[in-house]
Amino acid sequence: MSLGARLARVDRRLIFLLMTLAVAGPILIPIKLPIIVSKEVEDFYREIEALSPGDHVLLAIDYEPDVMAELSPMSEAVLDRLFAKDTKIVALTLYPGGVGIAQGLLEEAAARHGKTYGEDYVFLGYNPDYSGTMLRLGESIKATYPTDQFGRDTRDLPILRDCDAYRDLSLLVSICGSQLSEFWAAYAGGRYGQRMVSGNTAVQAILIYPFYQSGQIKGFLGGLKGAAEYETRIQRPGQGVRGMGSQTAGHVVIVLLVLVGNAGYLAARRRRA
Amino acid sequence: MSHDPSIWITALLTLAIFSFLWRENPVFRFAEHLLVGVSAGYYVVQYFYSGVVKKLIVPVEQNFAANGLLIFGGVLGLLMFARLWRRLAWLARYPIAFYVAAGAGYFIPSILEANVLKQIGGTLTAPAAAATPFALFSAVVMAAGVLASLVYFYFSVEHRGAVGVVSRAGILFLMIGFGASFGYTVMGRITLLIGRFQFLFRDWLGLGL
Repeated sequence: MSLGARLARVDRRLIFLLMTLAVAGPILIPIKLPIIVSKEVEDFYREIEALSPGDHVLLAIDYEPDVMAELSPMSEAVLDRLFAKDTKIVALTLYPGGVGIAQGLLEEAAARHGKTYGEDYVFLGYNPDYSGTMLRLGESIKATYPTDQFGRDTRDLPILRDCDAYRDLSLLVSICGSQLSEFWAAYAGGRYGQRMVSGNTAVQAILIYPFYQSGQIKGFLGGLKGAAEYETRIQRPGQGVRGMGSQTAGHVVIVLLVLVGNAGYLAARRRRA
Repeated sequence: MSHDPSIWITALLTLAIFSFLWRENPVFRFAEHLLVGVSAGYYVVQYFYSGVVKKLIVPVEQNFAANGLLIFGGVLGLLMFARLWRRLAWLARYPIAFYVAAGAGYFIPSILEANVLKQIGGTLTAPAAAATPFALFSAVVMAAGVLASLVYFYFSVEHRGAVGVVSRAGILFLMIGFGASFGYTVMGRITLLIGRFQFLFRDWLGLGL
């Protein structure tokens, strides 16, 4: 039997086993790898560092449980940094499945930093119709969200006393598992001039580059690697940094499989010729 | 090992889903159906609470004079359900028409500006804004890549001679783009696996990673 034919008959479960070993191994026996901070992450870092205590930041946690592994490390790192800088966080989600995630992340980060709900941060919850919500936030946050996630009147919340639209926000941070970062850039950035940065899934990251290159998004974190770079930059190693060993081993396996697969294909084609 | 029942349920369901990697089986089917059912229930409640209760019932109850017009939106929403009856299905066209018209109204100008005009501007001005020789080189390559890719999709001229050369260069740029996209996709998928393994090892088995 030729090499190509033998490769074509490999049990796919062997490939699953290889991937399992490659990904699980570095989790059980951590590998320390150098992490170089890229320009887009450095720009993201600079935008956050430029904030002053008391500045209001709109944090859009726009993702659902399917991409938590990629985006929650970013959200945790960003929340820690924003709370450490004593900024005021106005959080929301434009995904119904994001409510529990956002609420959990906010409460855990607030507890770590001793922050008070309503004064240091607020969770506005989920609002249907993302386009309409993004546009209305430019007119009035309180009109768009008359109540927060817990039914409290937003007019009574101290954090929103002097903050009611994009003009009162120093930065928009969009942590997103879909195209919504692009829509934030179009509506909040394009229409209202809102300065923004984003954190995106790896699949989405490649579509964010044109927005970053054209200055519509000032910096961004792409996938778990982006999270690891940001964690490294703020000297707070977390899930992102811990996942880099598995990422590297997984990629090595994929590259080897691509090479072996192509070698088998070429061998089979030569044999047929 | 965790003593939290919710962690155990999550871990066992994760393993049930992983069991598909061996082969199709009833345990996997059960976990899959459970996910679909629970998700549907969660979304119905979340949509109803966020859309109907918070955006319609509460505002209208609190101040009918100011918010009474919201009932119009509520009625339009109800008309969407007319599609469930063949004789009344035509009524659903009104809310759809309203939604499409409003969506196009605020979608087209903003997206055209953000996705086309600003990106053309960014591509063309990048060489002039480059601060280092490498940045200048990158900006020139990017501008050349955009033009070559556009030529590849220009079908009014036969792709021969100089146009053919530029068109082939366009294909190369597109291939590099697809390769980068595939690389990012691999990273995303591996991350999801890392997330599950970290949960199983740390949260469930308590390996203290």
